[in-house]
Amino acid sequence: MPAERLLELDDVQVHFPMREGLVKAVNGVSYHVNKGEVLGIVGESGSGKSITARSIMRLLPKKAVEPGGRISFRPRTGEEYELSSLSRNSRAIRQVRGNHIGMIFQEPMTALSPVHTIGMQIMRTVQLHKKLGKAAARERAIDLLAKVQLPRPRELVDAYPHQLSGGMRQRAMIALAISCDPSLLIADEPTTALDVTTEAQILDLLKSLQSELGMAIIFITHNFGVVADIADRVSVMYLGKIVETATVDDIFYAPKHPYTQALLRSIPRLGVDQGRRLPTIPGMVPDPFSVPPGCSFNPRCSHAIAGLCDVKTPPEKRFGNQMSRCHIADQFVQEPAHV
Amino acid sequence: MSEASMQTSALPDDVLISVRNLKKYFPVHAGWLRREVGQVKAIDDVSLDIRKGETLGLVGESGSGKSTVARLMLRAYSLTDGQILFRQSDGSTIDLSQLSDREMRAVRREMQMIFQDPYSSLNPRMTLLELVGEPMIIHGAGSQGEIRDRVAELLQVVGLRPEFINRYPHAFSGGQRQRIGIARALALNPSFIAADEAVSALDVSVAAQNINLLQDLQEKFGLTYLFITHDLGMVEHISDRVGVMYLGRLMEVAPTEQLFAKPLHPYTEALMAAVPQPDPRGNRIRKRVPLKGEIANAANPPAGCAFHPRCPYAQAKCSAEVPALRTVEGGRQVRCHFAEELSLVGAVA
Repeated sequence: MPAERLLELDDVQVHFPMREGLVKAVNGVSYHVNKGEVLGIVGESGSGKSITARSIMRLLPKKAVEPGGRISFRPRTGEEYELSSLSRNSRAIRQVRGNHIGMIFQEPMTALSPVHTIGMQIMRTVQLHKKLGKAAARERAIDLLAKVQLPRPRELVDAYPHQLSGGMRQRAMIALAISCDPSLLIADEPTTALDVTTEAQILDLLKSLQSELGMAIIFITHNFGVVADIADRVSVMYLGKIVETATVDDIFYAPKHPYTQALLRSIPRLGVDQGRRLPTIPGMVPDPFSVPPGCSFNPRCSHAIAGLCDVKTPPEKRFGNQMSRCHIADQFVQEPAHV
Repeated sequence: MSEASMQTSALPDDVLISVRNLKKYFPVHAGWLRREVGQVKAIDDVSLDIRKGETLGLVGESGSGKSTVARLMLRAYSLTDGQILFRQSDGSTIDLSQLSDREMRAVRREMQMIFQDPYSSLNPRMTLLELVGEPMIIHGAGSQGEIRDRVAELLQVVGLRPEFINRYPHAFSGGQRQRIGIARALALNPSFIAADEAVSALDVSVAAQNINLLQDLQEKFGLTYLFITHDLGMVEHISDRVGVMYLGRLMEVAPTEQLFAKPLHPYTEALMAAVPQPDPRGNRIRKRVPLKGEIANAANPPAGCAFHPRCPYAQAKCSAEVPALRTVEGGRQVRCHFAEELSLVGAVA
């Protein structure tokens, strides 16, 4: 891996054998995260964005099979991990999880333990990974709660999750995730359940923590506004594949995949288009048992070419730092995102 | 029907439903004997007109009382105080707050609701025929054959295939289930539909399809919508007028375009500023000062203006006096002492 690389996924596949057939939830995903950058992953539900993240953490459901793919990870301490070869309970992954990689989830109420105080949950983590004594761990927990701007950290360290509001719980969850100075934070829809005002606070907090601690973030969301606010680069997922990866500006102002374009056009924008009819993507995401042949987006694509897009799987086409998985990425007419 | 409910208190001709000084207090019980120790003022003095054929958007953070207003309008909750005037299809006006539950049932034909979660709002053991036909059976609207035909027609209206009539909800995606909920709401030809976060749980592309459907149906059937959401982009897109709620009170009501161009209440400004835009360059330029703190506890609201502890423009008067919802220039309504003096920033494109 190049020196600036923190994490690299190469052709990762996660399949679920079901009674109705094989679900290829993640079907050849490759992306990388450099040290200290924020990679946004956007996609609709069922596109495989969360399963890919769980595969990094080795927290896949037990019935998942991984027929191929490689996940390499090099935290700032320098050692290299081949995450894809680790089992979910191996000693090595337990050193990585919660230590080098922190994770925050959409619903902090279910992700945090309801029967332990938030202080206790943070203390256990730092006692395990940082070999701190009880008193030192408690001080560290209080420091962390202060760092995530939780009011009255000395009191709230002894609070249970149910005593906190949604926004405060998410702050506590972030404190837990960054407790061991991770090199990478995986944030899976961390603001989706929050109000806009709280969402803005949490995004600002994550941005300031990211620059202060120099960690990288994989930010998974379905909200283009959020990704525009926080990401440096963005990958767009559809049906278990990444269809486009580019810098945040290129994704928003020069998208090279018809799916990215269509999604951007279907969001109502503040202060722009009152009353206009929203352009939509025809049809719906196909069910995972009947993924269309060729380009999986072709039945819904307004640019699809018969005999090409419905037959041949498009390769990854590269334009500098931009990647688009579309046969005609360099040919089809760019439609402006703002109409 | 009782005498009181027959009064036709002045309801302007173009108004379909009007709530006046609506209040809903929930009792707070505590202690071993579960004695009533206080009240949560979930809705405190909300007055609102919804005109025929318009979409009124209601926005606010969770806990602001927007869903409670809708549920009160349909009398899913009993109200503590206030009036709900509704113009029936025969042109007569009734005060829903005076009706018994039995009398209310007849009126509910004309008022329906669409819910947020398409997974929990449909009975998984009922087929589409039973789900969509149920309101018609309850109200005795037609024979079995007629109901079957009407359900098939409704499925077509919301963009589902009539062949699906004997399937169960689990066979459908979230967006399709939401359409089943819409068909069910349309079954009795209502004039008023309250949509509570109707597209919030859906993916971007599916939400757009369903929003377009709701707009088509409005045009086709002359429906009036109360559209509740926390998504400001969506509310701007679909609403003719918008009400902004905070802690059980209406803070501002204005025509959509005016509200987004120039909010008059600091809370409206803060809400708009908080929305991250799908515009990375714009976000970098736009300075965004997030609102501090969280919505107050409704059981123990701040004195004076409910918003003053978080308001960047608050002055001494704000913590002392409760501002009234008053009409200012241009017919806009706002609940702020200093609405005329402040120069607030709207959503910039």
